[in-house]
Amino acid sequence: MKGIPLLILTIFLLSCQTLPLINSPLAPADEKVLTCPSPFLKERYRLVHAIETSVAGKTQSAVIGVTLADPFTRFVSCAVMTVEGMVLFEAESGPGALKVNRALPPFDSMDFAKNMIEDIKLIFFTPDGKIQKKGNLPDGTTACRYHEENGDWIDVITDKSEGIAIKRYAPGGILKRQVKFNKTTGNIYQSIELQANEAFNYSLLMTLIEAEPVKNE
Amino acid sequence: MRTRCNLNYFVCIIGIFLVLGPANYAGANDFEQLRKDSAKIKTIQAHFVQKKSMKILSRPLISEGRFYYVAPDSFRWEYFKPLRSIVLAYKNNTKRYIASGGKMVEDQTGGAQALKIVLGEVAGWMSGKFDQNPSFAATIHEGANTIITLTPVGKSMTGMIEKIEITLSQKSTTIQSVKIIESANNFTQINFDNVEINKTINPSVFQVAQ
Repeated sequence: MKGIPLLILTIFLLSCQTLPLINSPLAPADEKVLTCPSPFLKERYRLVHAIETSVAGKTQSAVIGVTLADPFTRFVSCAVMTVEGMVLFEAESGPGALKVNRALPPFDSMDFAKNMIEDIKLIFFTPDGKIQKKGNLPDGTTACRYHEENGDWIDVITDKSEGIAIKRYAPGGILKRQVKFNKTTGNIYQSIELQANEAFNYSLLMTLIEAEPVKNE
Repeated sequence: MRTRCNLNYFVCIIGIFLVLGPANYAGANDFEQLRKDSAKIKTIQAHFVQKKSMKILSRPLISEGRFYYVAPDSFRWEYFKPLRSIVLAYKNNTKRYIASGGKMVEDQTGGAQALKIVLGEVAGWMSGKFDQNPSFAATIHEGANTIITLTPVGKSMTGMIEKIEITLSQKSTTIQSVKIIESANNFTQINFDNVEINKTINPSVFQVAQ
């Protein structure tokens, strides 16, 4: 019986996660001049990706995704279609409003729409929140930590050899999303990997088909 | 559910082509002629270019591929680009493959069983029962080209497909294009070329996803 409280305590401690420590540069002045990695869009862009879905490391299926994103207004329009051209999902999101224009099962839940728009914003837009910390992670990579309005934390991390990664943590420190830009040269959106930690974990491998800046639309 | 929806769409593309393969009835408004012509089809193969248009795209998204059919039930519908994928149906066994990590891997979304069911619908089209498919109402419009319009009548395609327009070339008496209209700003145009009817096709085409 004595072991039960200990077991509960152990489970509790294990369930508590903390954000990775970011060590600030020794001199405060260095922190000020430290440049945050920015893999984000600098202008309005349209991107078409082949999206491969995997669960437990096993490829499940593939679809085509179209994203129209404006970093200034934070407007996002997106569509998911089959290889045959059938549109499974189409939605757009401006500040504070999400409009789903088409959603076929199993893409017809509001949670799916919300998560998808959030993932697109995570990949393509500078975080909304304020920078809380700049510095280096224990492995030596440079990181900037943003605190979002909803309490989430977003780390944007750069490694000279491995490129840029984005990590989104829940307020309690649990890792929710991990984005990795696999291409270190050329178009950074050429190959993007998104790892989602949900009730069941899944990953998306996005391979660029075409991309173009959007001027007058 | 998604698989069923996707496959209905897939069936539209393949089924139309199968039933109208020879299309040498162009100029006639008689579906009975269509049934007679369909009976003559043993094999079909064709190259196709697919243009997907929708509001979010500034210009159509182009896909390209090739289609093979051997009576009574062997299919291969393959996209070369932009995303390589293959649907194979052979001896009551249907599978979809996608390119992943440099090789073709089987789609795991559980669509194979559903694909068998909807390919049963294709069989009806193949036998020329074009105007007897309860899922669509069919009309023929004679003009510079013959246009057949299919309108879904059942609930299975509600919200998916508004109508399908099939254009037949009068000169070559083969299918020229298929336009699948999902909504006013959202449609898929498939243009066929190099159509070959009743030319021998190696069975391995339907067995190996390479």
